[in-house]
Amino acid sequence: MWAVGMFTLALVMTGLYPTIRGNPQLAKLHDTYPEALRSLFGITDLTTGIGYLRAEVFSLVAPLLLIVLAVLWGGDLIAGEEDRGTVDILMANPISRSRVLLEKWAALVVGVVIAAGGLAIGLVIGILTTGMHLGMAGLSAALLATALLSIVFGTVSLTVGAATGNRALARGSAVALAVIAYLISALADMVDWLKEIRPLSPWYHALGVDPLASGFSLVHFAVLIGVTGAVGLLGVVAFDRRDLAV
Amino acid sequence: MSAPLPVCLEAVTKHYRQGRGIEGVDLGVREGEVFAFLGPNGAGKTTTIRILLDLIRPDSGSVRLFGLELRGHSVELRRRIGYLPGDLALYEDLSAKEMLTHFAHLRGGPPWGAIAALTEAFELEVDKPIKALSKGNRQKVGLVQAMMGDPALLILDEPTSGLDPVVQGQVHRLIRSASAEGRTVFLSSHILSEVSQVADRVGIIQDGRMIDVRRVRELRGEAIHYVDVRLVGGHPFNLTGVPGVSSLPSENGLVRLAVKGDLNPLIGALARDQVEELAVREPDLEDVFFDLISGGSAATERDSRADS
Ligand SMILES: Nc1ncnc2c1ncn2[C@@H]1O[C@H](COP(=O)(O)OP(=O)(O)OP(=O)(O)O)[C@@H](O)[C@H]1O
Ligand SMILES: [Mg+2]
Repeated sequence: MWAVGMFTLALVMTGLYPTIRGNPQLAKLHDTYPEALRSLFGITDLTTGIGYLRAEVFSLVAPLLLIVLAVLWGGDLIAGEEDRGTVDILMANPISRSRVLLEKWAALVVGVVIAAGGLAIGLVIGILTTGMHLGMAGLSAALLATALLSIVFGTVSLTVGAATGNRALARGSAVALAVIAYLISALADMVDWLKEIRPLSPWYHALGVDPLASGFSLVHFAVLIGVTGAVGLLGVVAFDRRDLAV
Repeated sequence: MSAPLPVCLEAVTKHYRQGRGIEGVDLGVREGEVFAFLGPNGAGKTTTIRILLDLIRPDSGSVRLFGLELRGHSVELRRRIGYLPGDLALYEDLSAKEMLTHFAHLRGGPPWGAIAALTEAFELEVDKPIKALSKGNRQKVGLVQAMMGDPALLILDEPTSGLDPVVQGQVHRLIRSASAEGRTVFLSSHILSEVSQVADRVGIIQDGRMIDVRRVRELRGEAIHYVDVRLVGGHPFNLTGVPGVSSLPSENGLVRLAVKGDLNPLIGALARDQVEELAVREPDLEDVFFDLISGGSAATERDSRADS
């Protein structure tokens, strides 16, 4: 479902590219935007393939949608079972709480990867049909970064849900963290003190470092994976200590 | 040395954030017996049961199942337990068959053929999504889920709620046959007639505390029979020297008696007269139960109500 949505989004966004490229006025229009706005939406040169995809797809829309998917779902995986009361028959089975959490997390990762796959296919088709010039290395790095970023916040949502059993709190806190991470990454170029704390933002490590242009970065991806692991581990510990569905 | 008890609680206390759950509960369930946990709403039955499944953790006290400390052996113990939750919630989008096969897989357990024997006995539609099932049929799915794979310990929280009398009888027979095969059943209920039909022993809980544990046979022994007698010619009836008998107000020659325990002394006394009409009503376990939980005042209250 989400994969189809992401696929369609990618087709539509890339489909608009020829219009923008063929219309210098429209492209120039963005130059008149204030610096802050341009930085916030990652706008650079819209007439090149990289510039266009960066601004229209990877700066906000695609990661936002994928994060929303991961956060909504992650928050439901454990807390939803408690909310609906199914946790009683689930946990009556001879399986440990850590295993349940781990399997739920694996399902989340697979789901996000499938949705990101939909996005990838749509983008590739769009790129080929509109004749956009773009390195495949940069594109796959950006896709992977987007997926990893969604998994980070999906895991936050899953962990808060597993630690509290409160679905709304899980989703809300993960979304809030994602917004903060985005703002830090997007505005750091203009605000000095934000630049200093920028390494704290997963968004910076994923998309702030411009993977479309710079390609794979082991260090930044390692940070994202590390954060996911640490947050997940917190979830395992908290979930194991708690009274379920009270 | 005898085998360790399937269920053994010692001084188990659990408080919820909002207040009392259970308080110092001691409980032992013996191998192969049907033990009924009886108590009014909010007494603490579900709280105790969810502690046994390691869904909630007690504040203090010890919980051992089959001689093993629950904490630390939770997974291996759950392999031997079938559980029916009191507030049953199922996976609504799955069909009964999908849910049951998935759970059987998680238990490393029974093949579908064995599960199907149960679903067929209950005449359960296994291919419909669960959300399309009636309340009683959901309860059946829950029961099959608990009973499949013949676990050594069945923990059933109000197993017959929502079931029609025929299916209730079926469930009672399944419970009895599980016990006949040497498996242990721990069930909760607030229906006394059910308990008296199916259980060997009854533990009574109220306000979070165990009040009493009795054999069902003993409870029956304390039961009150109501006896209506009319003597030929409407003679008055001499009760002196008949133990356990108290007379209730009579209605135009019909003498009404409440007999606690053994009926034989009364029958002996009646034999001295000419009886025209005699009716004995079933032992009323409800009264024994309310007697127990209210410290022995319920039956007399009822008598005095009949007075007015
Ligand atoms: N999740 C909870 N949070 C706070 N208090 C609870 C919770 N669950 C139960 N209680 C309280 O604990 C006490 C025991 O409740 P419990 O559900 O164990 O009773 P019960 O014997 O199963 O009752 P019933 O026959 O209605 O199912 C009650 O006073 C109840 O209000
Ligand atoms: Mg209950």
